[in-house]
Amino acid sequence: MNKYDWLLFLHITGAFLLVGGGVVAGALNLAALRRDRPSEILVLFGLTRIAVAAIIAGSLLAFVFGLWLVNEVGYGYGDGWIVAAIVLLIAGNAIGGFAGSRDARTAKFAEELVAQGDAPSAELQARVRDPITLICNYGSGLILVALLAIMIWKPGA
Amino acid sequence: MLAAIRPDSWNLPLFVHVLGAMILFGATATVAIAGFAARSRGAHAELLARVALKTFLFAIIPSWIAMRVGAGWIEGKEFPNDEPGWLGVGFAVSEGGALLLIALGILGWVSVRRHGIGRAAAAVPILAGIYVVALAIAWWAMSAKPG
Repeated sequence: MNKYDWLLFLHITGAFLLVGGGVVAGALNLAALRRDRPSEILVLFGLTRIAVAAIIAGSLLAFVFGLWLVNEVGYGYGDGWIVAAIVLLIAGNAIGGFAGSRDARTAKFAEELVAQGDAPSAELQARVRDPITLICNYGSGLILVALLAIMIWKPGA
Repeated sequence: MLAAIRPDSWNLPLFVHVLGAMILFGATATVAIAGFAARSRGAHAELLARVALKTFLFAIIPSWIAMRVGAGWIEGKEFPNDEPGWLGVGFAVSEGGALLLIALGILGWVSVRRHGIGRAAAAVPILAGIYVVALAIAWWAMSAKPG
């Protein structure tokens, strides 16, 4: 394996962790939408912390080794597709992080309801199904798909 | 530089293959996470078993198909006559992995029937974890192209 192979492997590993983490978070989030009991919602939201760790690690790996690859292969840091990819990576993380912070507050509220007897709550349901949070969660997922498309087609390269 | 250039006609099959593989990785990891979490959260074992089974049905199966269709599609374009050795690693993981995934689906169904407890429930995250590692080996072979 030469240097390029290693850089590509580590860059792709980051991409797998990033998209894979997004899939884990999405699957657990979808499951939470169908539950009523606060303790069930709390368990599912709690497990998304593993996904968040994968997304953060994956973003860092993909970004660092992606920039290194740009230098290694001889692309320009100002090339349109590379700039677009960086913007999408930052936007996806920012939007996903915004939704994640709202989900974290929902999990905290669910924890309070569990301590009070674990009875279903209309307010908790409304928070879990909050349209702004859902749009941001799934919007960040779509951004990742667009990012992958740019990495493969490399428009303008 | 040459390694980064490919004909435009390869892009769509590569996109289908890679996106399918990434979703497959995440979906299989979800099954592993839910399965292992069920062991320490007995009160929610049935819920987590259902999450694992639904993830298998609605994410693992379609993403495996996308990954495999994309793989066959781009293989026909990139290596119409002679296959390199590293491609065999990918096919071993996809074809061999299909058998493992069938077992995973059956055990996932049994696990739900038994409310998320018992041997089937214990085996589900182990099988899923093995497949996650196999997928990591495959993406190493696909990117590093050893030999």
